[in-house]
Amino acid sequence: MNRRTLLGGLFAAASVPALSACSSGITSLDSEGTTTSGGGSSKGGLTIGTANFTENQVLGYLYAAVLDAAGVKTTVRPNLGTREILIPAIKGGDIDLLPEYQGALLHYVAPKATATEEGEMQNALTMALPAGLQVLPYGMAEDSDAFAVTRETAEKYGLTSLADLKKQNGKLVIGAAAEVKTRQVGAVGLKDVYGVEFKEFKSLDSSGPLVKGALKKGDVDVANLFTTDTDIQAEGWVVLTDPKNLIPGQHVVPLIADRKADSTVRKALAGLGNALTTADLTELNRQVDKDKKDPEDVARAYAERKGLTATG
Amino acid sequence: MYELFKNLGDWLTSGEQWAGPDGIATRLAEHLQYSLLATLIAAAIGLPLGLLIGHTGKGAFVAINLSSFGRALPTVGLVVLVFLASGLSMWPVYVALVALAVPAIVTNTYAGMTAVDPDVKDAARGQGMRGHQVLFQVELPLALPLIMTGLRLALIQVVATATIAAYVSFGGLGRYVFDGLAQRDLVQVMGGAVLVAVVAIALDLALSALQRVLFRHRTA
Repeated sequence: MNRRTLLGGLFAAASVPALSACSSGITSLDSEGTTTSGGGSSKGGLTIGTANFTENQVLGYLYAAVLDAAGVKTTVRPNLGTREILIPAIKGGDIDLLPEYQGALLHYVAPKATATEEGEMQNALTMALPAGLQVLPYGMAEDSDAFAVTRETAEKYGLTSLADLKKQNGKLVIGAAAEVKTRQVGAVGLKDVYGVEFKEFKSLDSSGPLVKGALKKGDVDVANLFTTDTDIQAEGWVVLTDPKNLIPGQHVVPLIADRKADSTVRKALAGLGNALTTADLTELNRQVDKDKKDPEDVARAYAERKGLTATG
Repeated sequence: MYELFKNLGDWLTSGEQWAGPDGIATRLAEHLQYSLLATLIAAAIGLPLGLLIGHTGKGAFVAINLSSFGRALPTVGLVVLVFLASGLSMWPVYVALVALAVPAIVTNTYAGMTAVDPDVKDAARGQGMRGHQVLFQVELPLALPLIMTGLRLALIQVVATATIAAYVSFGGLGRYVFDGLAQRDLVQVMGGAVLVAVVAIALDLALSALQRVLFRHRTA
């Protein structure tokens, strides 16, 4: 018995649906490991929801591309909003599948969770998710929140880590999406964990043209961005380090309704999760944001290039 | 559903919600400030333009189509466009709101001017009135009811759209709508929406009352 089937057996015994996250962080699902007690079916097709930022839409279309190739009928509903809208929507059955991020999802369903390592978070998620929802094995790609400053700001105030922000309490302006004001991985956690207080919170968008434009022009000092944002490198922005691990790891993980999670869906999404790297995802984001390509075209082209749409 | 309305009622009436820098009183004042200033700027642009083309009868085609173009511009797109040029300031908000308000003012002013009976204008000239006298003493008073309607339309559109200020981090009642949506706080969203509607209706009623007082002698 190899390590994977052993783990699979252990989880099955604990009546937890297959979550055989191995130490490398990548899991391929073999058929005997995927028998679940719930036994969902994707026969009637499934609806994929996505959040209101480029990458999540790209992921949604990537899911659709590999699922379509596996013979599952999909509908993508892009740009539905924030997690605060999407999770109730998947609970209510309006959507069936959602590209999610481990740490952010865990904090949403269990605000007091302490896990930060990928495997632990996956287990914690399985425990904390409401009945009827489950996460499939997480993929290689990771996109975490980051708090970034321009190089000039970093030099002027001597900023390298989030802890350094405390020395400038009441002086700096932060720009982020409106929900970040009330989130743990946001203004709340920065205050609790690092004791940071900002002069002002400016509600803008999620790593989009507003918050990046404001950072570039100096209208905000600190901006909440995603690590897969291509502009961070292009503009030479400084991502502040997180010595106290406020920001959890954020591997991409499919969140799915039990009723749709059959072995076809699991296999297709696992194949994608094992192929898609953080660099790939950053590049796909760049094609949409910079080259103004359609997210659906970008996703399909990638899936074909990687042989993820080969039938059989 | 009942609970939602009860929460909404509590939200709208709690003293705590009304006070402070994030309170309804502040947001309401900001919203009124954005709306009134934008409408005033739009009136300063639209009124002279409408009067001029109505009086001379020249350039009507260009002016009406240009201002309709302004009306067709997607407001959010315009905000982002101006934002990218100006950075984080009130410019994007005011440009978008003024672009929205000018067409209603220009077209209604022009319509009011063209509705003035040509015989009346002829008679005025026949009595020896000069061009500007005809404009200010004959055409303008006769066109005033339609001009006022244009201003009312513009103001209501601007009040309803001034929520856009929150999109680029500023205040106004849109703050509740945007923050509530992002945080999935439905009561906050509805509270903001209800307040915007109330402000729009109240301002419209106030202006129509003013109109009635001003033009009392005509309808009597």
